[in-house]
Amino acid sequence: MKDLVRLHTSLTEEIEAALNDQCKMEAEASLKYLAMAAWLDRNGFDYSAGYLYAQAEEEREHFLKIFKYITEVGGVAITPTPNEVQQEFGSLRDVFETALQGEIAVTHSINRIVAKCRELNDYATEEFMMWYVREQREEEHNARRVMELFELIDANSSTGRFVLDEEISKVGRRVS
Amino acid sequence: MTNQAINSNELYRVPKGCSWQCDLTNRVYIQFQETVAAFRLRDFFAFHRKVSAIDIHEMIYNLSDDFDFEIIEAPQQGVSLQLGLCELVQLRDLLDGTKFALKLNSMLHEALGTVSLV
Repeated sequence: MKDLVRLHTSLTEEIEAALNDQCKMEAEASLKYLAMAAWLDRNGFDYSAGYLYAQAEEEREHFLKIFKYITEVGGVAITPTPNEVQQEFGSLRDVFETALQGEIAVTHSINRIVAKCRELNDYATEEFMMWYVREQREEEHNARRVMELFELIDANSSTGRFVLDEEISKVGRRVS
Repeated sequence: MTNQAINSNELYRVPKGCSWQCDLTNRVYIQFQETVAAFRLRDFFAFHRKVSAIDIHEMIYNLSDDFDFEIIEAPQQGVSLQLGLCELVQLRDLLDGTKFALKLNSMLHEALGTVSLV
């Protein structure tokens, strides 16, 4: 009797579900960044708005990368239905604190998938997910660097906010 | 029992139907009441998900006539069934059992390596 399941896909049901959940999380992250960028835009923070518009695009690429991987290995990629995202924020700092919290949540989720891959001996997906592990290290680093800027520059003055707006947009682009 | 079920690899059986795997066509056959349909594995899993997603509790507790029956469709396989609560539970049982048997077979293949399973 043939092993039809293995002929059809190398993914276990658990990993397929976890990857589809991650797709949804990445798609939601993209929409959250979009909402943040729009808030920044309408409050005069042009540079950091541009920075988060780019982040939104990047998150969408992350979503598509997983989505295509699921199909590539014979699984069923489910188009996610994102939940409602936060549209209003209290301040510039509030926006980037929310962004950092979001990145930390994504990192935890990716770590859980890698752990699950090891448990189920799915080395191909583990190897695929290592790209995300590296990416999250960079994303968290950038988000923390933005929070550091709030310690260095006074966000309570209009000049400070103007400088912060410019400096935030340069995060991740500096040559170290 | 149909001839196909005798000659192929039976996966699961409930009072109203049975399922089997055809190794020639790599299809999973579901026979339920008078309906027989052949599914590719991906389509079978999608069909299973669709049937599993039906809210049985709503059918039990909602007194509206709309919740007495559920229409189950798998257009690619030409399946269109109108099922009451008991039939739906039976179909769900058949699909769950079939899925379990498929996964068990896969696990045995993995555990036993290249040993051919009869």
